[in-house]
Amino acid sequence: MLSKITVSPAPHISQPLSTQRVMLDVLIGLAFPMAASIWFFRQYAVVLLLCSVGSCLLSEWLVNVVRRKPNSLSDLSAVVTGVILAFSLPPAAPWWVAVIGGVFAILIVKMLYGGLGYNVFNPAMAARVFLAISFGTLMTSWMAPATAKDEALKTMTAANTHATTQATAMAWSKASLKGQENAVEVSKFYRDSFFGTEGGCLGETSALAILLGGVYMLFRKTITWRIPAMVLVSAAVVASVGWLIKPEVYVSPVYHLVGGGMMLCAFFIATDPVTSPLTCKGEFIFGIGVGVLIMLIRILGEYPEGVMYAVLIMNALTPLIDRFTRLIPAGGKPHVQ
Amino acid sequence: METRGKFSFPGGVHPPEGKQYSQGRPIEVIPNPKQVVVLLSQHLGAPCKPVVNKKDTVKAGQVIGSSDAFVSAAIHSPVNGTVKDITLAPHPVLGRTMAVVIDVDPAQNEPKLPVAGGFDARLDLSKWTSEQICRAIKDAGIVGMGGAGFPARVKIEPNPAMPKTILIVNGCECEPFLTCDYRVMLEWTWQVLAGIRLTAKAAGVEQIRIGIEDNKPEAITVFNKAIESLDNDEDIQVVPVKTKYPQGGERQLIRAVWNKIVPTNSIPPVIGACVVNVATAAAIAEAVVFGNPLTHRVVSVTGRAICKPGNYYCPIGISVQELIDYCGGLTETAAKVVMGGPMMGFAIADFSTPITKTNGGLTFLTRKEVTEAKFNQTQTACIRCGRCLSACPENLNPTRIAHAVKANKLDVAQEQYFMSACIECGCCSYVCPANIELTGYIKTGKLLVARAKKKA
Repeated sequence: MLSKITVSPAPHISQPLSTQRVMLDVLIGLAFPMAASIWFFRQYAVVLLLCSVGSCLLSEWLVNVVRRKPNSLSDLSAVVTGVILAFSLPPAAPWWVAVIGGVFAILIVKMLYGGLGYNVFNPAMAARVFLAISFGTLMTSWMAPATAKDEALKTMTAANTHATTQATAMAWSKASLKGQENAVEVSKFYRDSFFGTEGGCLGETSALAILLGGVYMLFRKTITWRIPAMVLVSAAVVASVGWLIKPEVYVSPVYHLVGGGMMLCAFFIATDPVTSPLTCKGEFIFGIGVGVLIMLIRILGEYPEGVMYAVLIMNALTPLIDRFTRLIPAGGKPHVQ
Repeated sequence: METRGKFSFPGGVHPPEGKQYSQGRPIEVIPNPKQVVVLLSQHLGAPCKPVVNKKDTVKAGQVIGSSDAFVSAAIHSPVNGTVKDITLAPHPVLGRTMAVVIDVDPAQNEPKLPVAGGFDARLDLSKWTSEQICRAIKDAGIVGMGGAGFPARVKIEPNPAMPKTILIVNGCECEPFLTCDYRVMLEWTWQVLAGIRLTAKAAGVEQIRIGIEDNKPEAITVFNKAIESLDNDEDIQVVPVKTKYPQGGERQLIRAVWNKIVPTNSIPPVIGACVVNVATAAAIAEAVVFGNPLTHRVVSVTGRAICKPGNYYCPIGISVQELIDYCGGLTETAAKVVMGGPMMGFAIADFSTPITKTNGGLTFLTRKEVTEAKFNQTQTACIRCGRCLSACPENLNPTRIAHAVKANKLDVAQEQYFMSACIECGCCSYVCPANIELTGYIKTGKLLVARAKKKA
C-alpha cells in the first residue's frame, strides 16, 4: 500500500486540463474553417492540409529523435501549426510548397528557438512569409470556390464568380485604392467574404466558419476575448477613417473585417499563447497593434494582405510589451527593507 | 435570512468542494492512543524548550514546553502519563523536530470531552479585563488553528503602535474536503461566539464581522440566530461571502468582508484588522472561562481514499497512523495522504507524523483526483497561456517567478515579479495546463532567499 503513495509539493489536485487538451480545443475550433475549406476547395484543400500537417509532424518527430528528447508530438501543437499554415496558402499552391513550409515552420521557427513555448515568432506566419519570398507567383494561385452545383473546381472565370477581374477580396480592395475599381460597389460584396463564396487562401474565405470556431474557443476559455476584440475593433476604426472620407476609394470596415485573413488572424493566429503577451494589458496592446498594422499594410503598403507581417512585427514586440505591462501585486510593491 | 455571498476578491479558483464526505458527520471523541508525540515546534516563532525530563510523570494540562521569546506559545500535555523520551520526531514541514513522547497512563485514560455544552454566549464580559483575557490566552498556549499557527496572544494583544478597529472571524474553510471548522460552527456555536466576544474585548475592538462562505448556509443561519439571541447592541454581523478558493486566506477575507487591502508582506494589524479562526475563538473561550490549555482539537479526516471519513476530537500528538486505523484504513485507490487540505497541505509518507495544534484535516486523495499527470509529475513547457496570472489572488505573474527561480535568477524573481508577495495558495499550479509545479518553484525560491539572508 505504501508504495502507491506519492509525495510532491502542494497543490495536490489539479484542474483536468492539459496542454494537449488546450491544443485539441484549438483544433476543434479550426474544424469549422477546415470543413468550409474542404467544401469550397475540395481536393486542393485536402492535399494541402495533409501535406502541411504531415510535414510539421515529421519535422518535429525528426528533431526530437536527433536531440534524443522524448517524443512531443502528443501535445498536438505541430498539428495546429500545420493546419494554420495550410489555411494561409492559396488553394492551387503545389503540394511541395506546403511540405517546405511545414519544415521551415517547425524546424527553423519553432525547434531551433527551443521548441514549444520558446519560439518568439508564430511558426505558421514566419513560414508563410518565407514561402512568399521564395515562391512569389506560386503564392497567388487562386481558385474559384466550389458551389453546390459544381462537381469539380474550376479556375476563375467571369462565369463562375463575381470575380471578373480580381481573384480575392483583398485584391478588390487594392484595386479600389489604386482607383481601378469603385470601392462603394466592391463593399457590397462583403457577403461573399462572410459566407466564403469568395476567392482567397484556404482557411480565410469563410468568416462565418471562423466565427463559429472562435466562439467555441471562447466558450471553452481556450482564448480570451481581449485579442480578437482588439484586433477587430482597432482594424475597424482604422478602416473607418478612410471610408468616411472617401468611400469610393476605401472599402467599408465590414468588408475589411470579413475579407482576407482578418478573422482567421483575430481568432486563431494572433491568439497563439506562446507568441503573444502574458498580461491582460499586454493582450490589449498586442491586439490593437495587430489590427492597426494589418490595416496600414493593406491601405498604405504594396501588399494586398497584411496579416502575416503584422503578426510577426507584434511577435517581435511581445517581450517588450510584457516588460512594460508588468503586474503590481494587489497589496502594492513590497517595501524594500 | 440571506445566505448568498455577495462579496469576494479577484482571481482564485473553484476546485470541486468535496465537502459531502465529512460534512454531515458530527464531531466524535476519539479514545486516547497509547502514546502521544507532542512536537515542540507547533507554531510560528521560536520553538519551545522542554520543561520536563525523561521518566517524569505528567498530568493532562501540564506545561511540558515553553519559551522566553515574545513570539512563541507554551505547549501542554494532552494526557496523563509518563515522559518516555525527548527526541526528534517527524514534522510535515520542517522534516524532523524535537518532541516530547508521552506514554499514556492506562489507568487514568478517559479521553477529554469537548466543553461546548457548558457555554452560554451571553456571558457577561465585564467579568474579565482585557489583560486577564490576554493572560489566559497566553497561558493556554493558543495559536492560530486555521493553519498558520501564529501565537494568538501576540496577535490579539492591544498594540498602541498599531491600534485595531475590527475583528474578522474566519469561518470560510475554503479548502476542499475539510469540514472541521464547519462542524465546530454548527455544534459549538455558543462557544465560538463567546470566544469571539472575549477576543474582541481583549483586542479592544468593537466591530466584529464573521466571514462564512455561502456553501455553508446552515452555519450562517445558526450564527445569525445566536447573534440575535445575544440581544445586545454589540456590533457583530455575519457576512456571507462567495464560495471561492482561497476566500479563507486572511488577505482575501479582509478584502471581501471589509473591502480593504493589507499592504504586501505586511500584517493585518497594520490596517487595524485582527483575523481569527473559529476554532481558535472556541479555544480562547475554553481557556478564559474554564482555564483549559490548548491540548485537543477537531480534525477532519476526509477524502475519497479513506474508508470512514469523519470529524474527530483528538489529542494533540496522536499519530496519523492511529487516525487512519480508527477510520477504517486507506482504500485501494489511495495515492496521497495530505496533512491539511489538498490545495495547501503537506503530503506525507511517514504516518508516524503526529497531529499538531494547527492541523485541521487529513485529506486522502485517490489517483484519479491527483490526476495521472500530477502523480507521474509529467510536464510540458510553459505555453504562456496566462491562466496562472488570471487565477492569482495577489495579481502576480506566477510563471515568470517560477521560471526565474528555475534559472536561479532569484533577484529577477523578487525585484521584477515580486516573489515575496506570493501567499502560496496553489491556484496557479491548479490551473496550469502544462502541469508545471509553479507553487513548488515559488516556495523553493522564497526558501533560498531566506537561507541566503540568514547566512548574510
